[in-house]
Amino acid sequence: MLNSKTSALGIIFPNSYDATVPELANVRLMASIPFASRYRLIDFILSGMSNSGIDNISLLVNKNYHSLMDHLGSGREWDLVRKNGGLTLFPPNAEKTSLHYTGRISALESMVGFLRHQKEEYVVIADTNCAVNFDFKDLVETHAASGADITIAYNESEIPDGYLNLSGEGGFYYSYGLDNGRITKIYVNPTEEGTHNLSMNIFVIKRELLIEMVDVAFVRGLRYFERDVLLNSLDKLNVRGYKFDGYVARITSLQSFFNENMKLLDDANLNALFDAAPVYTKIRDDNPTRYIAGAKVENIMAADGCVIEGEVENSILFRGVKIEKGAKVKNCILMQDTVIKAGANIEYLITDKNVVVSDDKTMKGTDSYPIYITKNTTV
Amino acid sequence: MGKEMIAMLLAGGQGSRLYALTQKLAKPAVPFGGKYRIIDFPLSNCVNSGIDTVGILTQYQPLVLNEYIGNGQPWDLDRLNGGVHVLPPYQQASGSDWYKGTANAIYQNIAFIERYDPEYVIILSGDQICKQDYRDFLRFHKEKNAEFSVAVMEVPWEEASRFGLMVSDENDRITEFQEKPKNPKSNLASMGIYIFNWDILKKYLTEDEADPNSSNDFGNNIIPNLLRDGRRMYSYHFSGYWKDVGTISSLWEANMEVLDPENSGINLFDEDWKIFSRNSGMTGHKISKGAVVEDSMITDGCRVDGTVKHSVLFAGVKVEKGAVIEDAVVMGGSVIKAGAVVRHCIVAENVTIGAGAVVGAMPEGDSTGVATLGPGVTVGDGAHIGPNAMVSNDVEGGAEVC
Repeated sequence: MLNSKTSALGIIFPNSYDATVPELANVRLMASIPFASRYRLIDFILSGMSNSGIDNISLLVNKNYHSLMDHLGSGREWDLVRKNGGLTLFPPNAEKTSLHYTGRISALESMVGFLRHQKEEYVVIADTNCAVNFDFKDLVETHAASGADITIAYNESEIPDGYLNLSGEGGFYYSYGLDNGRITKIYVNPTEEGTHNLSMNIFVIKRELLIEMVDVAFVRGLRYFERDVLLNSLDKLNVRGYKFDGYVARITSLQSFFNENMKLLDDANLNALFDAAPVYTKIRDDNPTRYIAGAKVENIMAADGCVIEGEVENSILFRGVKIEKGAKVKNCILMQDTVIKAGANIEYLITDKNVVVSDDKTMKGTDSYPIYITKNTTV
Repeated sequence: MGKEMIAMLLAGGQGSRLYALTQKLAKPAVPFGGKYRIIDFPLSNCVNSGIDTVGILTQYQPLVLNEYIGNGQPWDLDRLNGGVHVLPPYQQASGSDWYKGTANAIYQNIAFIERYDPEYVIILSGDQICKQDYRDFLRFHKEKNAEFSVAVMEVPWEEASRFGLMVSDENDRITEFQEKPKNPKSNLASMGIYIFNWDILKKYLTEDEADPNSSNDFGNNIIPNLLRDGRRMYSYHFSGYWKDVGTISSLWEANMEVLDPENSGINLFDEDWKIFSRNSGMTGHKISKGAVVEDSMITDGCRVDGTVKHSVLFAGVKVEKGAVIEDAVVMGGSVIKAGAVVRHCIVAENVTIGAGAVVGAMPEGDSTGVATLGPGVTVGDGAHIGPNAMVSNDVEGGAEVC
């Protein structure tokens, strides 16, 4: 395919909405939260961009990004090792600005110099709190054909509980009022019940226009792109909505992390999320998962590298999980290299990486309050 | 700077005894153990042993193998200096030749080896399942001040006459070589893995090439010639797992042994000696409500709604409701439809087995055949495939194949 490349570069905000999942984002950031047995959230956006022919992608990391760097490496698994472009990390430049980015404007301002020297006509911008199989090429083409200045993707959704509890720095979410595809209203932190045109925070905009807008906003001391810039530009700019009808797993709290993982046990959801285009992730070279005689499993999703000798039901197992003889696991999400020792009995547990649940230990959460166990803990 | 040792991997074999599996595939590219291909084993052994330069000699049906190896990245063999190189036969000013034999394949690539100016060359075979640290082998070779060493395995005396045997003295120095003898004088079988001092190898390859009567083979020509000249030849005893998977039954057996690492000795769950492979990139596998999975290995992308017992499922296999898989090896992308029964057999990649079809049977009396379905075959609904069948073409619904 000669024309498969999209003339857009990608900008990803890996820290957006960290505050919604403090448990999981304590040792990492939103982008590197494990999801769906072998992925990290950023895999979905990165793969989508890569599959759409976008191969110049910048990550505006703010803090806690070591796990993300480890995950991404050179970007090879996403086919993003490129002589021109590829993956570029933009951590806060402590000399120039403050220690951290204070919003999208200051983050984008820090890379304006870079943006000026790129060749792509458009920029696509995305957060990582939505696991989606997103066709960025279609977004850019729709945008270009419509003559809009900015196009923003949204899906029809109720306001997730996690968003309702948002507060403090950068704690904003948005929904849109549309007139014939044009966004005429932006609602900041709406709380009404019912279906909203909920923003996915995926934008496309001409590179030159973005630079201009960021420069002006930065000089004026504005912080938040949507609230402080877009909201006041709806009459001047043609801002259009792009309705996304595909599957969206939006992680807005620990509870929604649990629910969205569990939903994938339904084949219809799993296929909806994964069938459109491949999702790439870091390769670990695990062996296939081994079910030893005596294991009993029902309704589970498991990645490679697991060894299962006990009983597992309604659970998601990440790579390298070991479940010993006589252990019982029900309604759990067990992240990489979790070990459930012999005779342990657990329900509604979310174990982070390298957790060990000792022999014969019993631990039970509930469906509306799963227990979370932090990384490297031995219970 | 020259390399201490580089590897030359013989991967040109047709693997004719694997019939349907190797019609369009070189033997080293045959899938194994849930997510590997046979060649992953020698390649991973090389990398884990610190060998960063590997030449792969290909000849027969190299398409899949070439694509699979690619730039060698999955094995960490994409190197600036060295790395993995696929070496097919090529045309030279003096004419062109297929590889006439194992020795000739190396002979034709002397120029490749010389680029790296190695002290030693290890010759590997692309049709064996074995985890081996070649550093131990090289250490032995150096300690013995050998010019040639061969890795050997002890085999039961009653089976010895099926192998090439090394007769050696109490210092492991080889005194005689017997190729599949009627009356074995030794039970040390050659594994087909050799370390040569490069100068010696080059000399004997060149001499062998000049001999019009030679079959240009390591076992038939090079080793006897070394012996004739009284070269310092030693046999290195290897005691780990080793299996030549050149036949349907041995390939099936080796896959079953993977399910029992505690007793079989082939442990793929070894963090210190990983076997690398090119990844399928599929989601985690799923086992639905009502499915049964016992004593099996299951890989990414599988969807199990039926029953799987004592079997190996490769990436992306679908087992529909009511289907039963037992003692079987089912390779990537195959679909087993509702109610089909698949037992004691090898199902190659991208096979579709229709609803209610029966493939293979558990061994009974003298019948121990491993039914084999070749890549891409479609077996119609309700068809019967007997335990000794070797199927390369589609089978119509309700048909019977013995």
